[in-house]
Amino acid sequence: MRAILAALGVAAALSVGPARAEDLAAGISRDKIEITSSFTGTDIVVFGAIETDEGTALPATEVRDVVVVIRSDKPYLVTVRKKDRVGPIWMNREERSFAGVPGFYFLSSTRPLREIAAADVLDQFELGLDRIALGPAPGSVGGPREFREAILRTKIRQDVYAQHEGAVSFLSGSLFRTTVALPPNVPAGNLKVIVYSFSHGQVTSSSSMTLFIDKTGIERRLSDFARYEPTLYGIVAVLLSALAGFLASLAFRQRH
Amino acid sequence: MQIYLPIAEMPVNIFLIIGLGAAVGFLSGMFGVGGGFILTPFLMFWGIPPAVAVATQSTQIVASSVSGVITHWRKGNVDFKMGGVLLGGGLVGSVLGIQVFNALKAAGQADLFISLSYVIFLGSVGGLMFWESLQTIRHGGSSVGSIRREPGGHYWVHGWPLKMRFQRSKLYISAIPPVLLGVLIGLLTVIMGVGGGFILIPAMIYLLRMPTSIVIGTSLFQIIFLAAFSTLLHAITNQSVDAILAALLIVGGVFGAQFGIRYGERLRSDWLRLCLAALVLMICLRLGFDLVWPPADPFNLSIEGVE
Repeated sequence: MRAILAALGVAAALSVGPARAEDLAAGISRDKIEITSSFTGTDIVVFGAIETDEGTALPATEVRDVVVVIRSDKPYLVTVRKKDRVGPIWMNREERSFAGVPGFYFLSSTRPLREIAAADVLDQFELGLDRIALGPAPGSVGGPREFREAILRTKIRQDVYAQHEGAVSFLSGSLFRTTVALPPNVPAGNLKVIVYSFSHGQVTSSSSMTLFIDKTGIERRLSDFARYEPTLYGIVAVLLSALAGFLASLAFRQRH
Repeated sequence: MQIYLPIAEMPVNIFLIIGLGAAVGFLSGMFGVGGGFILTPFLMFWGIPPAVAVATQSTQIVASSVSGVITHWRKGNVDFKMGGVLLGGGLVGSVLGIQVFNALKAAGQADLFISLSYVIFLGSVGGLMFWESLQTIRHGGSSVGSIRREPGGHYWVHGWPLKMRFQRSKLYISAIPPVLLGVLIGLLTVIMGVGGGFILIPAMIYLLRMPTSIVIGTSLFQIIFLAAFSTLLHAITNQSVDAILAALLIVGGVFGAQFGIRYGERLRSDWLRLCLAALVLMICLRLGFDLVWPPADPFNLSIEGVE
């Protein structure tokens, strides 16, 4: 098993605590992403191997599917509003609120999801953008499908939702890998990385890991300052701006 | 060259933002407007979340107006008394504005209201100014101050009680119109996220009959305080002031403002007003177009919080 991983080229050394399930071992190339002032997004690799219970490679005849899901573990409450024409003007009319909206959702699979498993199985594990469990928020009524679709459409446009069916590739009978592009606007916080292996339309095992995404250095200090000392932060911001303006006018006076 | 913004949580191009700050600072120094009404839509266009855009540009306005006021003050072009009276009304107006803004936000109509107020105010102010400055230029080009302010001339605002002497502006008028004007500007500052210079300046010229040369410095003077108040308010309630974004805008803005002042001095005041009017009308048209043109995606999302 280890020898095989090393052969992956992803260098097993990079692997961070491979989580071992019944017959699935998976890892991520990095388990901590630091957002520095030069952060413009990054790629991580999710990889692993499927083996039989006896610890040997799968026979070539055994077809397995792998689905990799990465999602933020904190769901948001989101309100969707629809613009309609009132007289000559377009204004927000209908609105619906949804609970359980992940800030980030990425899915990658070996084949189109509908070929991997039946709808009820996919629903159960929330596999696929159209199967994320978005329910009406407390006090809001469920609405037409178009409101739900608007959330997905907007998040896809912002690069925080993505689905790549067929992007998980098997390098041999049992080794798989997929590359995940984390966009520059990936929300800071913890992401859950879950790898599912499927056989004959059923989940045979799964492995879950956490990917920490955290601001660091000046980015971290500033956002902590803004969050925990908002009044002081505001005063400092105003004073520094005034000082900058003062210095600029001084600099210009000396020049003339 | 990209830099990551800690509060907006996204990277931006450093030079693009500095350039934007400089362009807005230039206009600010030239016309005495804060420039928020240009900067906010631009920042949003580049994907900065609206809350961060509105809050952060007010920080930039503090810097460019301080820089502008000091320069105008050295030339004796600031009426601090008038600025103080306007500001008094302004603070009352901004407190009222917060209530109005929160009610609109809860109803999901804040964006519509902001756009509509922009279109109405920019349209009427820009239209009036454009027409007036064109007339002045056609009729021999002397500034409005010398045309309209015949010695001993009386206007409707002059009949009101609570008269005050504003020496710098050479005015002896009731304090009520400037206070009311201040309230209106304060309301707009909070609701629209702007300093209100583009309304204040024409109002001071045409309503209060202040000399054009004094108007710009005085407007900038009171904008400093409204923008500072607005920054504080946003920092405390929304934590949406992005220090790095503000710093980049300021670097561009303060220098832009200085060049703007110098360039503005070379322009004749009627041409200056005509240019400002044209700029205001252009933005008005743009916003009006967005209101009536079918949106690319009729749906919009707002994140209400973490569960």
